[in-house]
Amino acid sequence: MTTERHEHVRIRRHRVSRRSFLHTVSAGALAAGSLSLRDVMTLQAAELRKQGKSMILLWMGGGPSQFETFDPKPDHENGGGTEVISTSVPGIRIAKGWEQTAGLMNELALIRSMTNKEGSHPRATYQMHTGYIPSGSVKHPSLAANIAKELADREFDLPAVVSVGNTQGAGFLGVNYEPFVVNDPGSLPQNTEVSVASSRYTRRLGLLDRLEDDFAGRGGEVVVKNHRQLYGKTSKLVLSSDLKAFDIADEPQTLKERYGDTVFGKGCLLARRLIEAGTTFVEIASRGAPGAGVNWDTHQDNFEQTAANAAVVDPAMAALISDLKDRGLLDTTLVVWMGEFGRTPRINPRGGRDHYPRVFNAAIAGAGVKGGQLIGASTADGTAIQDQPVTPNDLFCSICEALRINPHKENMSPLGRPMKIVDGGQPVPGLLG
Amino acid sequence: MCRIVCRFASIAAVLTVLAGPSAVYASDFDSARDVASQVDQLIAKELAANKVEPAPLATDEDFLRRATLDITGTLPSPRDVTLFGIDPTGDKREQLVGRLINSEAYAETWARYWRDVLFSRATNARSQLVNRSFTEWMTGVLAENRGWNEIATDLLTATGDVRFNGETALLFLQEGSPEDIAGEVSRVFLGIQMQCANCHNHPWDSWKREQFHELAAFFPRVSVRPVQEDGMQRSFEIASVNRDFDPAQRQQFLKDNADRLVRFSDRNRDGKLTKDEIQENQQFARIFDRLLQVADANKDGGLSVKEIKEAPAPMPNQAGRGSTEHFMVDLSNPASRGTKMEPKFFVTGLTAKSGLDDLDRRELIADYITSSQDEWFSRAFVNRMWGELTGEGFYMPIDDLGPERTASFPKVLDLLAAEFVKHDYDIKWLVSTIAFTQTYQREVRPDSADAESVPFASATPTRLRGDQLYSSILKTLGGSDDEPRGRGPGMMAGAGGPYRGARNPRDQFGQLFGFDPSTPQADITGTVPQALFMMNAPQINAQISATGLTRLAALLRKFPDNDDAASELYLMVLSREPSDKERKIVADYIAEVGNRNEAFEDLMWSLLNSSEFLSKR
Repeated sequence: MTTERHEHVRIRRHRVSRRSFLHTVSAGALAAGSLSLRDVMTLQAAELRKQGKSMILLWMGGGPSQFETFDPKPDHENGGGTEVISTSVPGIRIAKGWEQTAGLMNELALIRSMTNKEGSHPRATYQMHTGYIPSGSVKHPSLAANIAKELADREFDLPAVVSVGNTQGAGFLGVNYEPFVVNDPGSLPQNTEVSVASSRYTRRLGLLDRLEDDFAGRGGEVVVKNHRQLYGKTSKLVLSSDLKAFDIADEPQTLKERYGDTVFGKGCLLARRLIEAGTTFVEIASRGAPGAGVNWDTHQDNFEQTAANAAVVDPAMAALISDLKDRGLLDTTLVVWMGEFGRTPRINPRGGRDHYPRVFNAAIAGAGVKGGQLIGASTADGTAIQDQPVTPNDLFCSICEALRINPHKENMSPLGRPMKIVDGGQPVPGLLG
Repeated sequence: MCRIVCRFASIAAVLTVLAGPSAVYASDFDSARDVASQVDQLIAKELAANKVEPAPLATDEDFLRRATLDITGTLPSPRDVTLFGIDPTGDKREQLVGRLINSEAYAETWARYWRDVLFSRATNARSQLVNRSFTEWMTGVLAENRGWNEIATDLLTATGDVRFNGETALLFLQEGSPEDIAGEVSRVFLGIQMQCANCHNHPWDSWKREQFHELAAFFPRVSVRPVQEDGMQRSFEIASVNRDFDPAQRQQFLKDNADRLVRFSDRNRDGKLTKDEIQENQQFARIFDRLLQVADANKDGGLSVKEIKEAPAPMPNQAGRGSTEHFMVDLSNPASRGTKMEPKFFVTGLTAKSGLDDLDRRELIADYITSSQDEWFSRAFVNRMWGELTGEGFYMPIDDLGPERTASFPKVLDLLAAEFVKHDYDIKWLVSTIAFTQTYQREVRPDSADAESVPFASATPTRLRGDQLYSSILKTLGGSDDEPRGRGPGMMAGAGGPYRGARNPRDQFGQLFGFDPSTPQADITGTVPQALFMMNAPQINAQISATGLTRLAALLRKFPDNDDAASELYLMVLSREPSDKERKIVADYIAEVGNRNEAFEDLMWSLLNSSEFLSKR
């Protein structure tokens, strides 16, 4: 009885305030006197907390140099002469070029002791998206798909996982958690615009539905049933008023300027709109979408390239975090900035830095992360971890912890082998407040 | 019928087109028919024993659509449907199969099938490099009807630049990694999933971890090497490395000997080495381009002693690579080198000496796998083909066989596998034989509880592969692969997958609609972006306009009667005539809309978006 009622309480993130939640409940169960408010809150508190959580991944494709981002080494030749700036948190200094992010340092935790073994782009990218190294036998689900499976509201009209630019798929978790890929952030996704009036569209859908009966009766009923579900979901998306979340045209010009008139900046603004509407996971791949062009694979001219990248990412990231905070969304939204590995301490003859998985960094904010702190440290020359190494799986455990997901929950792979969301790893102590 | 007769002035003249199977294939026609009837008897007996009444044979319309899609990857034309229906020949179904299998489209569509099989499991993100060459190579060998054993041998023993040697695909897609190759070779050729044994003894199979690594030990000398052209990296090649190779060690050697090297080879005495100058020093020449890329500090196209000495150390990106023998990692001490493995084929126990050169090893394992002593090789192929054609394999999933699994109708599988070997792994023969069986030709029908436990009593509707769907759309709307880029219904972006970076419209379409053909059909249900494309893509909507130069417009002009026009449209899109009930729904709809053009556009939209159009029925 209780469960049933609660399925009817639609918890649309950020739209249903506590008051409207109580209102909905009181209209139903409470008025009928079948359960007390205290019961409801106790039973559902954990669920409610979970449902409100979401995540934005700022994916720094190519492998960002830790020296030119959040772990500069101004006193060592490996630092390459990169200047540092102070931040809003005394004692934390980051690379020049990240001034706006520096102003929000009290929201951010910087992990300077990320460490891993994969030094090739595809393998490390796969690992940093799934928590597993590639294997021919299993298509591992992305962390995004796992998170969506645990948290997403099934009644929501829009896809649970959206990615600006191509990314890792849902693997064996299947179609419901596949990322919906947006290549032109800020405008409506491809093929969502209906070429006929919506009344005619609805009429067509009606004709389609009637014509499906024949095939269903001739042995295709399973196929027809699945197809009807998919078309139901898709036409709901097409006709949904939530679809306008994809279109940033109506955002104030000043806000758009804060995010930046770049593919990445628009992607970040889109992410905020989608999270606000109820999407569970949004990734913005820095070099994934056409024209995005923020490439961190700086084998040559590292210093020029990283400066150009920072000029795009710094304002967008800062605007995103402060915008989320202004709207009361930062408490429930985890923002993670990372790439697939770091760069070599030594600068090569072409002024570049090469792949270096042994030491890299990540920045995290929101969803209960204690901001204004450093986690771990690299050695003075940046060649090794000095303190508190954090593996990708440790980080993934922390992400799950922040989102209130059990990282060791198992899903069954097609070969009948149970796969944990995260295999091993320990949450990073002290990361959450 | 009058309508049909009027359309074709002379049926007799047209029927001559429906001649018998081509000569190339005629010799095996009878044996295929014979084996198919043995299969029928075995299955009939088993169904009777289980008291399951098989579904009746499918109509000519359904059979024609099914066989045309399966064998040539596209839809029959409305004309094909009509002619096939009125053809009085007794064995017209067998003759149709014979014609289809000797068409060019057979080799093309099955080459794309195999591309999807291999590329869907690629661990190499640069798989696009070998897409075209593989598809072309596979089309060629299928058109020649080379035996599956020969094709497998080529895939196992390939070398060369992946852009020009499509048979390198399997090795390249697994990045030359001995473990990944072993897992994929076992899955694709033997239908045995032993990748899990990479890390632990298989929980429920008899394979031990050692056996997996003994298979991997056939492949440690496979190397994926960058191919440089004009100083730029252009491609990769599959090559053999028969001597131990440690890049760090080699570089150290160069650094230690930099003075001597420059003194010896610097012919024009300008203090630096250029590519021309070191041509004779083969070992150095091979790595010169790469070294130049990382070490040429002043970018003058040559290397001085100082530059060589200061070259950055190569990144140990691929731990364990570069060894000429395979080592099984010690799981309790992953940093150690592990146990050296001797090559041994787990099915038959045949071995190879360690120390053998790469190609010797690969030829041996190809020989072991494709020899008739290994029944899994033929069974895996038969199971896959049977599954693809009938919608359900003897073993499911179709690439998961092995001694611990139970097959349904094992006698049928054994019979087909034995005959396949007897026919020298003749793929066309096998496809024809399966298509001749009653099982293949049955109607789809609603699942009953009995059918769940005993398969093959009726046909199973399956989802068209991306390639089949694209051809079907082209055929229905009018269009061809030769259209210039940007035309045809292919322009869209997808969510990655095996065709990432696709260039032509068909591959772009595949990016959105493709799936791994080894996936059980039940797991393939379509995606939101696919539905969005079918519903709303401007490319499709432009082609279903009732005015202008579209096929719908022409059809509506030609058939002023609504019922005739609806029948034609059904033939065009679904390759069948509408049922009486459907005629009624359509007539009511036209009346309700009150606008003929609008109503027919809506009808065509609905048929293209129907689950039947997306399915093989």
